[in-house]
Amino acid sequence: MRRPSEIEHEEHSMATLVELTSVFEGIASMRIAQTKNQVMQATKFFNDLWGIYSQIRVDSLFRFGRSQEEDAVADKELYIIITAEGGFSGDIDQKLIHLMLETYNKDNNEIIVIGHHGAVQLAQRGISFKKYFKLPNKDQNINVAPIIKEVQLYKNTTVFYQEYVSLMTQDVKKISLSTAVQQQGARSERKEDIISEANYIFEPSTFAVVGHLERSMMQIAISQLILDSKLAQYASRFRAMSASHQRSEEAKADLHLQYNRARRGIKDERLKEIINGLRKSRGVTL
Amino acid sequence: MSDDPKPAADDKAAETAAPPQKLDDKLMHAKVYAPFKVYFDDMAQSVSAVNDTGPFDILPRHHHFMTLLNPGDVVIRTAEGEQRITINRGVMHVKANQVIVFLDV
Repeated sequence: MRRPSEIEHEEHSMATLVELTSVFEGIASMRIAQTKNQVMQATKFFNDLWGIYSQIRVDSLFRFGRSQEEDAVADKELYIIITAEGGFSGDIDQKLIHLMLETYNKDNNEIIVIGHHGAVQLAQRGISFKKYFKLPNKDQNINVAPIIKEVQLYKNTTVFYQEYVSLMTQDVKKISLSTAVQQQGARSERKEDIISEANYIFEPSTFAVVGHLERSMMQIAISQLILDSKLAQYASRFRAMSASHQRSEEAKADLHLQYNRARRGIKDERLKEIINGLRKSRGVTL
Repeated sequence: MSDDPKPAADDKAAETAAPPQKLDDKLMHAKVYAPFKVYFDDMAQSVSAVNDTGPFDILPRHHHFMTLLNPGDVVIRTAEGEQRITINRGVMHVKANQVIVFLDV
């Protein structure tokens, strides 16, 4: 039988774990509320901008903000995968990588990883990636310009991201970047007022403004997908921490029970020894 | 682009697309905002900024206009005084007596 002091020590350690998981759970919950608010604000801004872009009549093609001359574009599809920075995010990153590998072909695809955890997971699977970006700590004004530069080098881009459905449900998804921009825009309900050179003055030029707007909307769309993924990661972390918190509380209660039993066992043992001693001293034999 | 405000080429179109509130000829609605912050959202007498052509002013009843803004100050003049917002980059859209400046795009 284990000694009560050993069990007590283990119970203290478990109590620390209970407190830690509770703190992590609280932080994750707070970050979820903050990030949800950021997503809503950015969506409103995007909708206003999309409302203007969609009224401009110069070209029906979304050109990823590239110039009209069509610079050299690689005949490959770029995969951008948005994962967590650390490992406290449950199993959502593994699910995302699994989704990406369903269609991945090393001859047709190049990968850019956002988030250290995803980079480690891919390296462990022996899959090489072109670039790795750290998942930004901040939720506002994320600088995605280096990613946009990469996007413009490829014929098409697909983003693999994590979606927040509810606190207890997160999903992994993929979306073509041009579709992402158009889908964001589809959510906005704006009346159709045509903007063209016939009724507007553009400076420095119409194509410069349109190209800039496309780049801006791609930046906002990628920032939104990063924010969405972070939201899902916080929720996944919350879920993992809730489960750990519950398990550690159960383990602590179990240890406490073991501790009481062990102490009682010792007391019983001593009592037995005393009774036996008394019986022997009084000449009573069992 | 000149410093002078450009008159509306099609007054009729501007009138039909005017915002719901009644604006007099000396005021227009201006909004300057970024994805996570609104810097100004009120009536203004003029809005000044800098683009590739140089500094310019937008006055009420300006022609429909879209431009990319250069780093510098956006100056908004109101009856109470002027507000100066330092920007890195932005897009300005002017239509029907409304000026919208999207920052950080």
